[in-house]
Amino acid sequence: MIEAGEAAARALLERIGGIPTASQVTIMNVCGGHERSLSMLGLRTALPEHVQVIPGPGCPVCVCPEEDLADAIAVAMTGHVTLVAFGDMLRVPTNVSKGDIASLAQARAAGADVRPISSPQEAVVIARSLPGKPVVFFVAGFETTTAPVAAMLMEGVPDNLSILLAARRTWPAVAMLLRAEDHALDALIAPGHVATVMGADEWRFVANRHHLPVAVAGFSAESLLAGIYSVLRQFHEGIAFLDNCYQELVRPEGNRNARRMIAEVMAVTDAQWRGIGIIPDSGFSFRGPWQRYDARMRHEIVASERRRPGDMPPGCDCARVVLGKVRPNECRLYGKACTPQRPIGPCMVSDEGACHIWWQAGIRTT
Amino acid sequence: MIEDVHVSLAHGNGGRLMRVLINELFVRHLGKESLDTEADAVPIALPDGEIVITTDGFTVQPLCFPGGDIGALAVHGTVNDLAVSGARPLYVTLAALIEEGLEIALLERIVAGLARAARTSNIKVVAGDTKVVPRGQGGGLYLTLTGIGVRPHGTQLGVHMISVGDMVLVSGPIGDHGIAVMLAREAFGLRGNVLSDAASVLPLTTAIASTPGVRFMRDPTRGGLATVAHEIAAGCGQAVELDEAFIPIRPTTRSVCDILGYDPLYLASEGRVVAVTSPASADEVLTAWRSLPEGQDAVTIGTIQKGTDHLSNQVVLRTRIGGMRFLPELEADPLPRIC
Repeated sequence: MIEAGEAAARALLERIGGIPTASQVTIMNVCGGHERSLSMLGLRTALPEHVQVIPGPGCPVCVCPEEDLADAIAVAMTGHVTLVAFGDMLRVPTNVSKGDIASLAQARAAGADVRPISSPQEAVVIARSLPGKPVVFFVAGFETTTAPVAAMLMEGVPDNLSILLAARRTWPAVAMLLRAEDHALDALIAPGHVATVMGADEWRFVANRHHLPVAVAGFSAESLLAGIYSVLRQFHEGIAFLDNCYQELVRPEGNRNARRMIAEVMAVTDAQWRGIGIIPDSGFSFRGPWQRYDARMRHEIVASERRRPGDMPPGCDCARVVLGKVRPNECRLYGKACTPQRPIGPCMVSDEGACHIWWQAGIRTT
Repeated sequence: MIEDVHVSLAHGNGGRLMRVLINELFVRHLGKESLDTEADAVPIALPDGEIVITTDGFTVQPLCFPGGDIGALAVHGTVNDLAVSGARPLYVTLAALIEEGLEIALLERIVAGLARAARTSNIKVVAGDTKVVPRGQGGGLYLTLTGIGVRPHGTQLGVHMISVGDMVLVSGPIGDHGIAVMLAREAFGLRGNVLSDAASVLPLTTAIASTPGVRFMRDPTRGGLATVAHEIAAGCGQAVELDEAFIPIRPTTRSVCDILGYDPLYLASEGRVVAVTSPASADEVLTAWRSLPEGQDAVTIGTIQKGTDHLSNQVVLRTRIGGMRFLPELEADPLPRIC
């Protein structure tokens, strides 16, 4: 049965096929949800050969600083704290000596009270159910996570709840990529969920400053293909502007209320990205009155000694996958030493990691 | 008369309480005439043909779910394994491992469901065993059934019969059992009106038993349609190409999958048949199936393609927008045990 959206998608594919092109076009997406749709729909095989859509920085768990993760493990291992985190954070490994505790999942197995959650509200519920016991919420995520965490704090949380903040902003990573002289990108698909919160306008710099076509897209085949069609069309005509192909949810200014809450609770800072380094203006810290919720202020955190602090695990190409420099199946660990059952790098752990998504979509070695 | 409310260890000790449980509950529902509780072993009469035997253990949680329970599921599962082998199921044996503390009323409801399923499929429960395990050592109730059936001599069904160009058919929407059981666990805060598809597939297999060109039949239980497709691909060394747009999935099942991130192609059905037929027979099989209530949504979903190079033993999915991707073998179990 072909549904209406699918018929529209097939029509868009035909229009994309009709755009004459002289050269290879490389389009980056920066959202795990986009990468999942692209891979599961087999979209790459349906696009003309000269159109390449590659995954970029779309996975906050993948770039969560190794140091923060080590701190989270250290806090959990003190024994008197309950640590809650989004589920896919639990299996991300740190660089420790063999036999030491490398992940939150291993900390849990060793007796620490580590609990996976799926929403900030769950952290509040758990903290309420454990009066008197410190509960630390380890927050790694993009603006789609940052906004609900800010809202949670403004609504009021129990005194025993604190936050270990490792939230990141999406656009500064793209800005960093585009500042490099040798970047090989021709166009960008901007993230639909992030833009719902922060607004489409955040992505205007791609066209205005870097003269690359950019389109905000949703997650259905139709919406993604509309975005791809738009940027290909712009590329072909030699123009660059911001096209919002997800207008049913994304406004130019985003969700004003959510942005106001983030700004109220948090200040923008430079921040570390695992295996990549410091990206200007890409992270958050708590503003003055909100610092009392900062887990680092409340708990003395002494992380264990580690090898290669800040880096990806040895041999793991996760950082270059995140930056769009290589594809997941070009990493020599992909599908060999590194699989979803025994992941080595965070890109194979997280549901938003390109390696995990490619593996689930049936892509094996090159 | 059983006076207790819950099963206790004494119901498995070989004494009076066990005799009462067997006679008042199991025999009463399953029928005195076929189930001889005095004998250690019983003779069975078999008509002419090739004897086929299968065995299966059932451990579903919860024990009762929308559209069925572990008792009916166990009979259907056993009957279906015989049916897709081209056999007429005749007898089953039943071993029940009961956890201490199980409500007797619930056990009775399950045994009644089991008996009803057996009657519908026209099979007899001819031997049984009851054990009670201490509290905490079993999930309420485990059932193990062995089924015996007979099929015509020279029946040729199996992956070795499949060749390039054959068609892949499915008798109805997939994944409903997996979703129904999952929703019944109420662990996800979701409610939906998905009924398990658990049923005997005997009418479906009987309807095409004498159709020439039927190469292979399988019920897509644990691991779902994708797993059956992989069994076909590996068995015949070719590639299976499935067309996503034609794979029947109920809208509710699809929505629940979308919300929870499950792929319905890997979810169990307990009342469907996947068949591989010659191209010439596909229409005949579809017509036969669609004339049955349980086969109204039967449809062709794929073909067997030449498995050259990287395509051999692979399952290729033609996606709804016309893209292609490999459908990988199931890795992690998407759900806790459901059959």
